[in-house]
Amino acid sequence: MSADQNRNHDMSQTDIALLLADAADEVEIGIAPVQAVIRGGRRRRARRWAVATVTALVVAGSTGALAVTGLPGGGHGDRQTNVAKPPASAEARHVYEPQRTELARGTYKGKEWHVTVQVWGAPRNEAEADRQFDAMAELGIEPADARKPADLIGKISYFATRGWGENRPQQVMFNTVEKFEKYSGTDLEAAATRLGYGGESSGRLVIGIVAKTARQVTCHWKDGTTAVAEPTEGFSAHDTGSAIRVVDGFQGANWFVCTGPAGTSYASAEVTK
Amino acid sequence: MGDRKQARNEEFQSFMVGRWPRLMRTAFLLTGEQHAAEDLVQSTLEQVYVAWRRVGSADDPEAYVRRVMINAHARKHRRRLKEFLAPRDDSGLVHEAPDTGDRIAQADDRSALLKALAQLPARQREAVVLRYWEDLTETQTAEAMGCSVGTVKSNAAKGIAKLRAIPGLAEMVTQGGRK
Repeated sequence: MSADQNRNHDMSQTDIALLLADAADEVEIGIAPVQAVIRGGRRRRARRWAVATVTALVVAGSTGALAVTGLPGGGHGDRQTNVAKPPASAEARHVYEPQRTELARGTYKGKEWHVTVQVWGAPRNEAEADRQFDAMAELGIEPADARKPADLIGKISYFATRGWGENRPQQVMFNTVEKFEKYSGTDLEAAATRLGYGGESSGRLVIGIVAKTARQVTCHWKDGTTAVAEPTEGFSAHDTGSAIRVVDGFQGANWFVCTGPAGTSYASAEVTK
Repeated sequence: MGDRKQARNEEFQSFMVGRWPRLMRTAFLLTGEQHAAEDLVQSTLEQVYVAWRRVGSADDPEAYVRRVMINAHARKHRRRLKEFLAPRDDSGLVHEAPDTGDRIAQADDRSALLKALAQLPARQREAVVLRYWEDLTETQTAEAMGCSVGTVKSNAAKGIAKLRAIPGLAEMVTQGGRK
C-alpha cells in the first residue's frame, strides 16, 4: 500500500467514525429509567434463585436415589421417580405462600396498575388447609367454593388479581381445583375489568387463559380497534400492556392480558395464531 | 449490611445515569432503532445490576457492560434487526451525495448509514461500531465480542469495505464526510 493510499484509507476510517457519530446523534436519549432497571434486575435475580432452587431439588433427588440403591436389600432404586418426586414440605409446595407471576402493568391516572396471578399449592391435610385459609384471608382473597378450610384439601387455588395504586388488589378470575384443566387450540376464557377503581375505565382491562400453544390473542374493543397480546418475557419501557405469559406453577395453559384505549371497552377476544 | 446495600444501589444508579447517553448511542448504532436501543440498554443494565457487587468493584466496569451488551445484542436483536431495517421500499442504499448543510440531506446520510449498518452481518456491525464509534482498541473490541483480535480485524475490515462500497456513503466519505 502506498503512502497516499494509506492516508486515504485512514481518512476514510476517520470519516466513517464521524458518520457514525452523526448517526448516533439521531437517537433520543431520554431520562435513564433507573427504577425500572433496578426492578428488572431484582426480578432477574429472583428468577435466578428460582432456577437455583429447582436445580438443588433435582440434585437432592438424585442423591437420595443413589443412597437408596446403595442400601443393603434396597432393591432397584428408581432414580427417575425420585428426581421427579414433588417436594414434600408445605412451604416448598407453596401452600402458605403462593407463586406469583406479574402479567402486566402500566399507569392509569398517574398511579401504577398491575395484574398478577398467584398459584397456591394443594394442602394435604386439615392443618395445612387451616394455615392456607388464614394466609389467603390475610391477603384479602377468598377461594372459590370453599366455605371452610377443609374444602381446600387436595386442591390448588389460583387467583388473577388486579391492583391500582396503593389499594389492595382485587381478585378477578379465580378457582380452586383438584387439577389444572388443559387448554388446547383456540380455547380461551377471559374476564373484562377496570384499570382503576372508577367506572370510566370499566372494560379496558381483559385478563384471560389460553392454550400453551397460542401465539397471539386479539382483543376487540367496542370502538372497532384491537389489541394484540403475544408471548412475552420480562418487562420493558415499551410494553403495550398486552401480553401472553407463562405463569409459575400454573399448568396446562398460559395467561394473557389486553388493555384497551380510553373511551371504549371490551367486546371480544380470540386466539388468532 | 443494609447501609452497604444502599451504598451499592446508589453507586449503581450514578453509574447508570452517567453511562446512559453513551450506551443509548452505541445501542442505537447496533440496533438501528430507538425502541430496540432502549430495550437493549435496559436489559443490559438489568444484568449489570444483578452482578453489580462484583462489577462495581472491578477495575473496568465499562468492559463488562460492553460485553453484556454485545452478548445481548447477538442473542436478541440480530434476527429482528434484519427484518426491521431491511429496506422495504425501492430506495435501496443508493443516495446522491447531499449538499453540506442541508438538513434533509443530513437525515438521508444518517438513514443511509443506519441502513448500511443493518446490511452488515451482526459481527461485522459490532466490530465497526466498537472500533469506530466506541473507539476501542482491537484488543478491547475482541474482549467485548468474546473473540480473537484477528477476528475483530477481519470483521471490521470487511464491514468498512462494505460500507465504502455503498455509493452514497462512498461519495460522502470521499468528500470528507459530514463535519
